Amino acid sequence: MLSESARMSTAHEAGFRIQEPNSKQRSIKVIALDPSSAVLVDQIAKDGWSGASFFTSLSFATQKNPDSASDGSVQAWLNDLAGRALDLMSEVSTCDFVVVVTCAGEDARAVTIIADACALYHKSLVSLVVPQEGMSEQDVEISLKHLRPHSRMLVVAQGIDYIEVMLSALRAG
Amino acid sequence: MLKKEQNDYITQTGPGTPMGELFRCYWLPVLLSEELPEPDCPPVRVKILSERMVAFRDTEGKLGLIDEFCAHRGPSLWFGRNEECGLRCPYHGWKFDVNGQCVEVPSEPVESGYAKKIKLKSYPLIEKGGVLWTYMGPPERRPPEPEYEFCAVPLKQTYSSKRLQECNWLQAMEGGIDSSHVSFLHRGDLHNDPLFKGAAGNKYNLGDLSPVFEVVESPGGLLIGARRNAEDDQYYWRITPFVMPCYTGVPPRGDHPMHGHFWVPIDDHSCWAWSYDYHPTRDLTDDEVAAMKDGKGVHVKNIPGTYIPLANKTNDYLMDRAAQKAGRTFSGIAGIGMQDASLQESMGPVCDRTKENLVGTDNGIIMARHRLMRAAKALAEKGTIPPGVDVEHHKVRQAALLLKRDVPYAEGAKEALKAKKGVRQTSV
Ligand code: FES
Ligand SMILES: [Fe+2]
Repeated sequence: MLSESARMSTAHEAGFRIQEPNSKQRSIKVIALDPSSAVLVDQIAKDGWSGASFFTSLSFATQKNPDSASDGSVQAWLNDLAGRALDLMSEVSTCDFVVVVTCAGEDARAVTIIADACALYHKSLVSLVVPQEGMSEQDVEISLKHLRPHSRMLVVAQGIDYIEVMLSALRAG
Repeated sequence: MLKKEQNDYITQTGPGTPMGELFRCYWLPVLLSEELPEPDCPPVRVKILSERMVAFRDTEGKLGLIDEFCAHRGPSLWFGRNEECGLRCPYHGWKFDVNGQCVEVPSEPVESGYAKKIKLKSYPLIEKGGVLWTYMGPPERRPPEPEYEFCAVPLKQTYSSKRLQECNWLQAMEGGIDSSHVSFLHRGDLHNDPLFKGAAGNKYNLGDLSPVFEVVESPGGLLIGARRNAEDDQYYWRITPFVMPCYTGVPPRGDHPMHGHFWVPIDDHSCWAWSYDYHPTRDLTDDEVAAMKDGKGVHVKNIPGTYIPLANKTNDYLMDRAAQKAGRTFSGIAGIGMQDASLQESMGPVCDRTKENLVGTDNGIIMARHRLMRAAKALAEKGTIPPGVDVEHHKVRQAALLLKRDVPYAEGAKEALKAKKGVRQTSV
């Protein structure tokens, strides 16, 4: 006698899988940590992703954003491609997770402020380090060192290719 | 998730498919040496990459892997007589040598030269580390023989087994690089399994259930590091290598032998899960070999005389709900190998990746797929030899180690990740 497992794992039975979508639209924030990675993020954003929004830099301001969900203790602003400044805290609070991108050897210290926001709202942080032409292993290590304490997942990935693949794998498309 | 076309692209390995061509760049394990134990022993049917073949060891001990079907009227040569340096079809007596060359057509005069015109497709078959390997690509691209450490150490230091897995190779292989499932699916086994227990590192696994991950490309594939907090300002790292197209290593525990897998497509709906265990510097003990044969560690107990797991889909994998409830096993299935296989087979013959919802910690899997597809494309478009063909790429080790938090992991683990003859593994 065949068991249920034997029956259910056939190719024929696979055809009866319910076709109803099993997830909702994602909201991923992709943030460039330095000017070089901003160029990459800008390029990726042009493809039009319905589940991701892209920010090319971080800035700080003293006055509180009136629309902010935060208590004002961290006043960081994310600058998007349209030149708008959006409050980091409210962006993070409403997303599913955050992806930061840095080019190897660049100053990635801005990650700490983003990581604080992620910690506050319990969002996981994925960090991507993109090696650059002519950089050394040390350059990558410098980036990793900045990102390591804050990231749930840290990836060293060649070029914008991988970032796009990852966003699409994570259903940001 | 993958789009339907991408999923088809990466899961199909038959002749003429892009992934099939990629797989045909490598030496792949096909049979255990024990399956062809001596000259003139019974031939064995083999299906790899959706091609049916028969393997035999001739009178002189030479190995052959040839088209399964007789060139005369097409019966399986598995029924053949392995005698006097060739495999003879029992139907009308045609005979083929290890290269597939027909050497005798009894109905025709020898002088006619008829036999010379008949040749079955054949592939090279070599023996290394207790395993028979084949290369199914074009002869001019034949790479040097594999140098994975498990097949390079003396035979007394290594043990391999295989089991049938009734699903596509990719969902099986993805389990090998999915470090985040270990703390759940296999949590019951760290303390009990004779090939895992007692390692100092186990406490870190069980003490910190939410490791963080680092994925970096290596020349031959990927390194996937899982990091957990440890005492004295240290991290406990477990580093899993993936070598293209389908080799994965499991980070070691204590002085236990090191293990890992090869995931070899049989056809698009089934694969061979190969499991190896070896120690770089000492013979395996009798107890270790006995435990491996008994299906412990990464090995599985097969139905005697077959390579089909005893616990399989026809008996619901011997599901034990009481053990599941009591927490002795997390899924109710006994043994690490079958815990993985049961879930992977339940995904269906080919997992529908259009429906999956990956998270950030799945980046190892995302990157492996990306590298495989990128390599298949580069091979198809530019003839680029893919990563993992170069034997230097085989000489990578899995590792488990403690590092000070401020020590760069690439540096701290650099030596640990190299296979070095006569040097013990790095393991906690
Ligand atoms: S929880 Fe990961 S596959 Fe179901
Ligand atoms: Fe597993």
